[in-house]
Amino acid sequence: MDKRLGVYICGGCSIGESLDVDRLAKVAATGHKVPVCRTHACLCGEEGVAQIRGDLTGGAVNAIVIAACSPRAKMECFNFGSTQIVERVNLREHVAWSHPPKDEDSQALAEDYLRMGMAKAEKMEPPEPLSETISRAILVVGGGVTGINAALEGAKAGHDVLLVEKEPQLGGFLGGLKKVFPTHPPYTEAEDNQLAEKISAVSAHPRIKVFCSTQVTRTEGQPGMFDVTLRNGNDAETHRVGAIVMATGWKPYDRARLTLPGCDLPDVVTNVEFERMAAAGSVARPSDGQPVKSALFVQCAGSRDPKHLSYCSSVCCMSTLKEAEWLRAQNPEVEIFIIYRDMVTPGTYESYYQSLQNHALNFLMKGSVTSLERDANGKVVVSVDGSLIGSPIRVAVDMVVLATGMVPNSADNDAIRTLRDARRTVERNESETQRAEAEKIVTLLQDRDGTEILNLSYRQGPDLPVLQNGFPNSHFVCFPYETQRTGIYAAGAVRSPMDSAMAAEDACGAMLKAIQSVQLATNGQAVHPRAGDLSYPNFALQRCTMCKRCTVECPFGALDEDEKGTPKFNPYRCRRCGICMGACPERIISFKNYSVDMIASMVKAIEVPDEFEDKPRILIFACENDAYPALDQAGMMRATYDASVRVIPLRCLGSMNIVWIADALSRGIDGVMLMGCKFGDDYQCHFIRGSELANRRLENVKDTLERLQLESGRIELVQLGIDEGDRVPRIIDDFVARVRELGPNPYKGF
Amino acid sequence: MADALMLRPDRELIREVTQNSGGELKKCFQCATCSSVCSLSTEARPFPRQQVLKAQWGMTDQLIGDPSIWLCHDCGDCTARCPRGARPSAVMDAIRMATIRRLAFPRFMGNMVGRQENGAIMFVLSALILLAIAILPAIRSEVRPLVFAQMFPKDRLEPLFFAVSAYVVLALTIGALRFVKALRASGADGPILPALVPVLIEIIRHRRFASCGAGHVRRWGHLLVLSGFLGLALMGTTVGIGSLLGLMDTPIPTLNPLKIFANLCALLLVIGVSLLFWNRITNPEKRAGSSYCDWYFLALVGSVGLTGFLSEMLRLAQNPDWMFSVYYIHLSLVLTLFLCTPYSKFVHFLYRTLAMAATWRENQSPGQALVGARGSEITSA
Repeated sequence: MDKRLGVYICGGCSIGESLDVDRLAKVAATGHKVPVCRTHACLCGEEGVAQIRGDLTGGAVNAIVIAACSPRAKMECFNFGSTQIVERVNLREHVAWSHPPKDEDSQALAEDYLRMGMAKAEKMEPPEPLSETISRAILVVGGGVTGINAALEGAKAGHDVLLVEKEPQLGGFLGGLKKVFPTHPPYTEAEDNQLAEKISAVSAHPRIKVFCSTQVTRTEGQPGMFDVTLRNGNDAETHRVGAIVMATGWKPYDRARLTLPGCDLPDVVTNVEFERMAAAGSVARPSDGQPVKSALFVQCAGSRDPKHLSYCSSVCCMSTLKEAEWLRAQNPEVEIFIIYRDMVTPGTYESYYQSLQNHALNFLMKGSVTSLERDANGKVVVSVDGSLIGSPIRVAVDMVVLATGMVPNSADNDAIRTLRDARRTVERNESETQRAEAEKIVTLLQDRDGTEILNLSYRQGPDLPVLQNGFPNSHFVCFPYETQRTGIYAAGAVRSPMDSAMAAEDACGAMLKAIQSVQLATNGQAVHPRAGDLSYPNFALQRCTMCKRCTVECPFGALDEDEKGTPKFNPYRCRRCGICMGACPERIISFKNYSVDMIASMVKAIEVPDEFEDKPRILIFACENDAYPALDQAGMMRATYDASVRVIPLRCLGSMNIVWIADALSRGIDGVMLMGCKFGDDYQCHFIRGSELANRRLENVKDTLERLQLESGRIELVQLGIDEGDRVPRIIDDFVARVRELGPNPYKGF
Repeated sequence: MADALMLRPDRELIREVTQNSGGELKKCFQCATCSSVCSLSTEARPFPRQQVLKAQWGMTDQLIGDPSIWLCHDCGDCTARCPRGARPSAVMDAIRMATIRRLAFPRFMGNMVGRQENGAIMFVLSALILLAIAILPAIRSEVRPLVFAQMFPKDRLEPLFFAVSAYVVLALTIGALRFVKALRASGADGPILPALVPVLIEIIRHRRFASCGAGHVRRWGHLLVLSGFLGLALMGTTVGIGSLLGLMDTPIPTLNPLKIFANLCALLLVIGVSLLFWNRITNPEKRAGSSYCDWYFLALVGSVGLTGFLSEMLRLAQNPDWMFSVYYIHLSLVLTLFLCTPYSKFVHFLYRTLAMAATWRENQSPGQALVGARGSEITSA
């Protein structure tokens, strides 16, 4: 495309008072010889925007550089259509608001930013949106309370819904219950289960097709065009859907794994077993069928315990209370003991807790149950330690109920994939040691066989990757329902432990995400966090060396492989983070408006003075999701930091290609800082592990540096939260001070 | 764990506590705000939190010998701060009453006096006894000046009161022995007799009332009632013994130092009772937490003081119409007070003193100082 660059420099918001705008204009007009360069005292005003529009419609320019505020500000004003090339140069937050006014170094910083912006704009191309035919149907896997509600919500919104349940009937766990937690004032009594009405509504809805006794045996393709094979007995048929809601629910924690002495006594049942007895009509002592005159509930049986489930299942306290109410209805004189660590009854459930607590014969106490024994009278003697009575106590009861927690019905993708790979190695039988190793893995992981749920045909494995504790949710803080597989959303107890009321809401949320994903796919746009983005990576496959880094590192499994290992890109699975671009050693992956070459040109556009003492040059690659807003925030707080830094925003720190670091150092830049999101167990990366991958690549770069006699201290990675703008000046100034100590880059001036 | 306590909830105790002032007992969820704000509670004795829990679980045996229920001076700070509205101080009050009943000798007396529906029985009983003394052989004369002995001859009245006193002392002794046994069983094993001296000094100084957040009205009210009552008891006994031995003659002249001292004590008593009444009525927390037992005892002591004063005035005025009947009521009230001593709130003087003595040693070790214990459970709980 023949570029006619228009540069527009704003003098408002104290940019004009701080910088010499005319000198900046000269950089563009004379230095860069752009056909149009204008300045305006308030570019975002009607007049300023009209000027830009005029130049665009008149054909004077076809790519524009707006040197004004942060790209995160005034997005609506400076929106000239999704295919218009616009590069924003941040003179306000990153220069005028964070550096001294009328200062030579501030001016140099602004001029560099302008050059960098123009260099990038010169190379940007308008994106060509994807435009394949998208299915609007949505598959819901799991016919429990979540799946049923999801299906109804999707159908109400006008989508065809396929509801798949592996059991012969809909209902899931909730279907087997008589009573549910109170949801209406005064919240003091359990309510009748209304799920049957919803099941009839689902069965009657013309847009919902129910498949019972059915499993998903294969899921191929990508969002907007998933081809799912549903098998019922020997019959299998394939359907095309646009998105998937996975609502596979939960299973109770295996009581056989509990280590509480005596928990296998006949009169000890789990809360789920209790619910089944209650649903069947009456609760009696399992050992002899005698009426229950006293019962003790052991809360957190295997929950909030690093040896079992490290989390709180959020429903066991409420279900215990509900079961206590049930026992009381059966026998008003029953004595009920509840030994808890903390009663977790949030919101209106607190009223339920209080109303049950108030009964004279409900005895609640904080403490931990240490053992269960059967005494001569056939009673279960419960020993409680650490109680607030101050000394160990024992209670003899007819029956003990263990409040066990929820385990998500998810499939451990990594384990399944490892098992499959190991089986293949055993089959190939290439070397004795490899075979022995693989056989060990097969023995260890063989229980994962057949645990697949979605059976994805993805190169990275057959199911949703799970994060902590087996939940497939990928970023619950910012993006609930999100998984690491685009277009597939987790809802209900498989996403996070929850009760039926919350699961019904969750179903709605996940279904809305699925609908959104179908809609965005129809428009050829990315889903969040880059919602609406029309660009996507292009692969110059003729130069591919089949190193598989991109297929392995993509956090979303967007890339499959052919037999030889050539990547096969599925654009609708892509989140447009650019992690593949950062991973590729051959630099064959690029977006129309974001590429290795574009960023390299920006690096080259920085003027590096020969003199070091006052003017070192530090390059910062900042993740635009968290670190860049934090830098903006520092500006908004008018916090000043060293003017020798030059910030380049990246889609994700994972898209950082190490060639940029090499380029920067060979151009005499004295230090490079990478600012990304926090990684580790509580990662904040919007693309799961971009900053972690960048960190790993950095380790390799540091080795190379040492070989080139360059100090590895010239490169540093910083983890920065979006709310840590106040830390920015300190981080930058300290790094600049350390680089100054190291002295000038020896390659400076070459 | 073999020696761990086997719990069998005593439903009767739960019922009793909830029917008395501890109606909100079950609301407690053991957050320990109460024991944290209490200036008397210590880390080793986290009352009232632990006692409320024991009451919730009907742990009668663990409550009877628990000195903590008596270490509480019922200031009401905990009730004011309780986030669940469980009224810990009122629960403590109810526990104390339930304990008094269970320690009482003979037990049926404890069961009877503690009940609101039996409130008048003791008074009626006393009145009948005195009536019998007054009317059996009528010896009324119109000799002036009129003296009370004309209605209640000394040789009948004095033996009655000494006999009743002996009964009360016996009942108190047995109660005290039962209580000490229970204290020992609960692990409060501090030496009691040697600690009595410092405990009594502390009681006289009312230091624990001072450290409570209840304000000066209660401290001074209680101090005045206590000193007035002690003075009157001392005078009564002295005059009783004196007149029985023929060393003294009643009525004692108004300007006699002994009489002046007695009148002063009665004045202190009446002022003290008024202050306590005022405190219970004007402090909404206190008012709501006051049980039948509290009012009964306060009213009894107050009316003893008032009728005593009134009788004296009427005697000095030589009013034959009112003098004898008011004195009759006064004597009936005094006898009621005597008879109720081991079974009413009155007995707290004994149990609290013993509990303070048995735990005296705990407060003397460093880090357990009474003042400054506030908030000790914030860190421990």
